[in-house]
Amino acid sequence: MAGYPGVPASPTTDSTHVPRWGMVIDLQKCVGCDSCTVACKVENRTPPGVNYNVVVEQEIGTYPNVRRVNIPRPCMQCDTPPCVTVCPVNATYKGDDGVVVIDSDRCIGCRYCITACPYGARSFDFGESYADEMQGADELQAPEWGIERGTRGGVWSSPVGTVRKCTFCAHRIPRGEEPACCETCIGDARYFGDLNDPDSLVSKLAADPRAFRLKEEVGTNPSVYYLR
Amino acid sequence: MSTACTEPTTDSRPPVTGWRRFTNEGRGHEPFLTPRNRKLWYGFLAICLIAGSWGAWLRLTQGLAMTDLTSQMPWGAWVAFYIFFVGLSAGAFLLSSLVYVFGMYQFERIGRAALLSAVVSMFVALAFIGLDLGRVERGPITLAYFHWTSPLSWEVRFYVIYIALLIAELIIAVRLHKGLVRSAHKAHRWLRILGTIGVPLAIIGVHGGTGTIFAVVKARAMWFGGLFPIIFVVSAMVSGTALLLAVYYWQRRGTGRTPDPALIQGLGKVLVAAVIIDLLLTFYEFIVPLLAFQSHDADIISIQATGPYAWTFWGLQLAVGMVIPTIILLSPLKRKVGWVVAAAMMVVVGIVGVRFNIVVPPLVAPIIDGYPTNYYFPTLGEWLLCLFLIAGGALLYSLISEWQPIHEPEPDTAADTPVADADSPTTTEVTT
Ligand code: SF4
Ligand code: SF4
Repeated sequence: MAGYPGVPASPTTDSTHVPRWGMVIDLQKCVGCDSCTVACKVENRTPPGVNYNVVVEQEIGTYPNVRRVNIPRPCMQCDTPPCVTVCPVNATYKGDDGVVVIDSDRCIGCRYCITACPYGARSFDFGESYADEMQGADELQAPEWGIERGTRGGVWSSPVGTVRKCTFCAHRIPRGEEPACCETCIGDARYFGDLNDPDSLVSKLAADPRAFRLKEEVGTNPSVYYLR
Repeated sequence: MSTACTEPTTDSRPPVTGWRRFTNEGRGHEPFLTPRNRKLWYGFLAICLIAGSWGAWLRLTQGLAMTDLTSQMPWGAWVAFYIFFVGLSAGAFLLSSLVYVFGMYQFERIGRAALLSAVVSMFVALAFIGLDLGRVERGPITLAYFHWTSPLSWEVRFYVIYIALLIAELIIAVRLHKGLVRSAHKAHRWLRILGTIGVPLAIIGVHGGTGTIFAVVKARAMWFGGLFPIIFVVSAMVSGTALLLAVYYWQRRGTGRTPDPALIQGLGKVLVAAVIIDLLLTFYEFIVPLLAFQSHDADIISIQATGPYAWTFWGLQLAVGMVIPTIILLSPLKRKVGWVVAAAMMVVVGIVGVRFNIVVPPLVAPIIDGYPTNYYFPTLGEWLLCLFLIAGGALLYSLISEWQPIHEPEPDTAADTPVADADSPTTTEVTT
């Protein structure tokens, strides 16, 4: 069973199997086009300053012996998530399917989780809006963890003043769709699937010798793998 | 330091009228301030509050968008002031426990002032962290939902218990002083019991716990580690002692009397001991990651030591906050009351620098290679809100001191004032 309200278990699995959603990103295929970031902003209708996915450009070595690596960074959906352990009110938690979500109706906006995330994967919603640049930007908000939140700016329903993050598109998973970033990727660099299923593509790729995870030493056990 | 009481006391004291009847003076206690100083002090506070209310207005209307904070730089000035005031409170309380628990009665005359400072500092700290929340209105639900792995969740509960204990102790101490208790012996015992519960509560629960909020964050080098809570407790002792020393001195001056040099020198000794331990801990805090060549820690240290905030590190934290006061308090200058007070005030300001350097540089450093280095400097609005809350705390402290005999010396230790004018509103000038 998926761990957030309103979201039934994945249709692709039987009733006893609990999936653990994971992602594998092939860095050899990533060209650094930022399509995933854009697709995410559109899908989740995130306001200015709130980014669930970014592509980090790393420069390795010193000039002139440098090379550049693009590292797309969604939330790692850590299996032992430090952001969850520090939350004073249990507003953020890891669902049974391994996806870490935030209850926007409980979060007090203390931002402790932002400081605790080793990947900078969380954003605070300062209440900014694209309304000046885009007509109707505030008409609709993305269903955070499956709950419709109406128009932006509503005092009680809107996530303004709380922390937000990537949910692996929790509202898409039960429909059998992969996260928007994976669907849009022009190089097909991002794979999404069930790490608890040893036959799934992501499980096999995660077992590849090319696979690594960011900041393994912190002990967060991310569910996002990279292929170097 | 020489003293000249210019105006001898006469018996023609004007009758106490109007609102003054509700103050100490009206009930035959020593007034908190002389009339002239009262005007100056409340005028000053009023200016601060009026200016600061602009910050409060911005905060209420614009939310956290009025700050310089971002998602990469989530905590700033208000969190720094929050830990500063929790520290002041814990330090002031520990100082009061020297009197009520450890029986160092040479400090008794500041016992109540210490307790009141502890209470007011806690309120100011909670105001800072409360207004720092994105959803202020949800603040109280922290008491409804408990998450045992979150130090912050524990802290909220410790703060509530601690404030209740402080208020109880303060009430007993004031009643004891006013002779309202049935048995002084019993009252002393209660003070000792409450203080004894309070000491571990303040050390482990309140301020060590506040340090733990940072110390468990393994994502941020320089926060993560076991030394941090201890540093918090020691620097709390430093700032609490320094604050009380300054408050004691200025209140005595404000009420037109001579501060007791022996008391100031005694506090100066406590202060210098705490500062030296603090220096030692700071030294290890920096030298260990540097010698271990921990790159993430080293990045943060280099931001601290050479980055845009280097002046706060070298100037405020080290020079003003630690080294110069230590030199003053160890040199022959320590025999001059004025210098000791100056050292104490420098320490208080320096600890503000310490608090900012705890919060800001570890968050400024990029969390993953390839992220930009952040820059944070509080906006005018943030500063004004700080001014508002601090002035509000000072006002609350002063009003309570007007109303209850917080600063009045014990009758048997009131050696610093001639008995004749013990409670007359003279306009005595004190020259240093
Ligand atoms: S990447 Fe950050 S936000 Fe995501 S689960 Fe891990 S610690 Fe939490
Ligand atoms: S900001 Fe919200 S989700 Fe994050 S720790 Fe605070 S209450 Fe929890």
